Amino acid sequence: MVMEGAASPAGSPRNTEGVGISCQSVSAGYLGSPVLREISFAIDKPGIYVVLGPNGAGKTTLFRTLSGILRPYQGNVLIDGLPIDRQQSRNRLHYLSHADGLPEGLTVREALDLYAQLERATSADVDRVLDLVNVRELSDRFLPQLSAGQKKRVSVARLFLQDRAIYLLDEPTANLDPKMAREIRTLILDLSREKIVLYSSHNLFEAREIGRYVLAIKNGRLALFDRIENLRGTHFVVGVRVLEPSEALTGWSREGDYFLRELPGPEAVPAFIRDLESRGVQIRELREMNNPLEDLFT
Amino acid sequence: MIPTLTAGSATSEGPPSLLGITIRRSMVLGRFFLVYGTGISVLLGVVLGLVSRSSFAAAFPLLLPIFASVGSMGGLAVFTSDRLKGTLEYFMAYGFSPRRLFLNFLTATLVLVSIVVSVGLGVGVGLYLARGNAFTPGLAVAFGLYAVPMSFASAAFAATMGMYWSALSSPRAGMNSPIGLAPFIGILPPVTTLFIVVALGASGATTSVTTFYAIAVAVMALVVVFVVLLLALINRFLRRERLLSPA
Repeated sequence: MVMEGAASPAGSPRNTEGVGISCQSVSAGYLGSPVLREISFAIDKPGIYVVLGPNGAGKTTLFRTLSGILRPYQGNVLIDGLPIDRQQSRNRLHYLSHADGLPEGLTVREALDLYAQLERATSADVDRVLDLVNVRELSDRFLPQLSAGQKKRVSVARLFLQDRAIYLLDEPTANLDPKMAREIRTLILDLSREKIVLYSSHNLFEAREIGRYVLAIKNGRLALFDRIENLRGTHFVVGVRVLEPSEALTGWSREGDYFLRELPGPEAVPAFIRDLESRGVQIRELREMNNPLEDLFT
Repeated sequence: MIPTLTAGSATSEGPPSLLGITIRRSMVLGRFFLVYGTGISVLLGVVLGLVSRSSFAAAFPLLLPIFASVGSMGGLAVFTSDRLKGTLEYFMAYGFSPRRLFLNFLTATLVLVSIVVSVGLGVGVGLYLARGNAFTPGLAVAFGLYAVPMSFASAAFAATMGMYWSALSSPRAGMNSPIGLAPFIGILPPVTTLFIVVALGASGATTSVTTFYAIAVAVMALVVVFVVLLLALINRFLRRERLLSPA
């Protein structure tokens, strides 16, 4: 499976040794028990690559292995062709764990100063990210005084201290309110124009909205690596919301205000709308009711 | 057109030292222990110095390591907090090895010990001298051969055991946590020394000051060897996944 020159699983004749991130038959886990089994893929073009999978599938383990925190039991992780255990490789990555990882005993400003030191960023960079993720007013507060969402914002701020080629983001919008989650997604989308972003989320609508590719992990194995737009659900169900009740919809199953109908696929939608209108149905809204990404969890 | 990948800075330099900030955080997170250990050491020095010259010379060097060990718990407090909150995970992603992280927290612990010992000794001995007492060779030996090295050995023992314990066990709170129990671990070396001396005396063996120092030096040597051994075996017993947040 070759992804139009943007990303490909290993075994493809390209990309396994070049620029970007390459995972070659990697098995990894905890205390000798493998969680990931022979995962292989290669990514060399910018974009958001959404990592999906049910709880316990191995998403976090994949991020920890790609970032060099866990050592693979077998196989190799290469960053720009160099093994991940080389410092040069690590210095090309940004990693955001699902845990905030903020050092207690410091104020927000001091914590970001510490990470700026580790990133070889400057005090001016800290000032910039304080404004970027809207935590300037929190800068003198000690970390235990922050809410979970505020901590997440500070944690996300670290990502923008220094420019990196590859971003590994494990649930970056968890615990954030919708407004802040949207702002962070926008920042990440901007990043993805020039960077490789691996992004895990349990929010399938978010994943579909921002993702360009999907890597699905099931039982520790790479079950799918494809463009999100190529994914088709096993069922294509649309919901119709109407202005006035109509006899034409009698007998249709319902979900809330929506009358449901299964269609062969998105290409059948225009004819479906014409048919409803010809029968006098006044359509207020029509939407796809299921998300094809849901099928990756079954 | 598909945009090309732009690289960030990718030096081959390792991550910079965390020691300065770790010492500072140890003082903040372990402030109760630091204030308590230093305060009791000073109080002890003042009270014993006021009671009599012999009381100070006999008891102060013996008790100082206990409170120095208690006062240095901040290093372990930071390690435990960083593990639980996932901060160690970030540090490893930046390229810190588990051994380097351990040494960082251990060094911070030893800096805290030096604060307690310096303040305790400074105030205690200063007051002792101010009262017209002489700093005898016996007192110098008591501090140089027992109180100071035993303070560092006990604190290193407590911190190393506590870090191993914290990394190898599930998170616990309160007195049953590594932080709750480490002070008791820290007093083991001086208490063991005293116990051996008392046991020898009770068994009818002749004990002298020389015997006491010989036993103390032997206990300290054992403790140092044990700590060095644990540090050497970090890669074997404390694999990287042991330092990850359990959350």
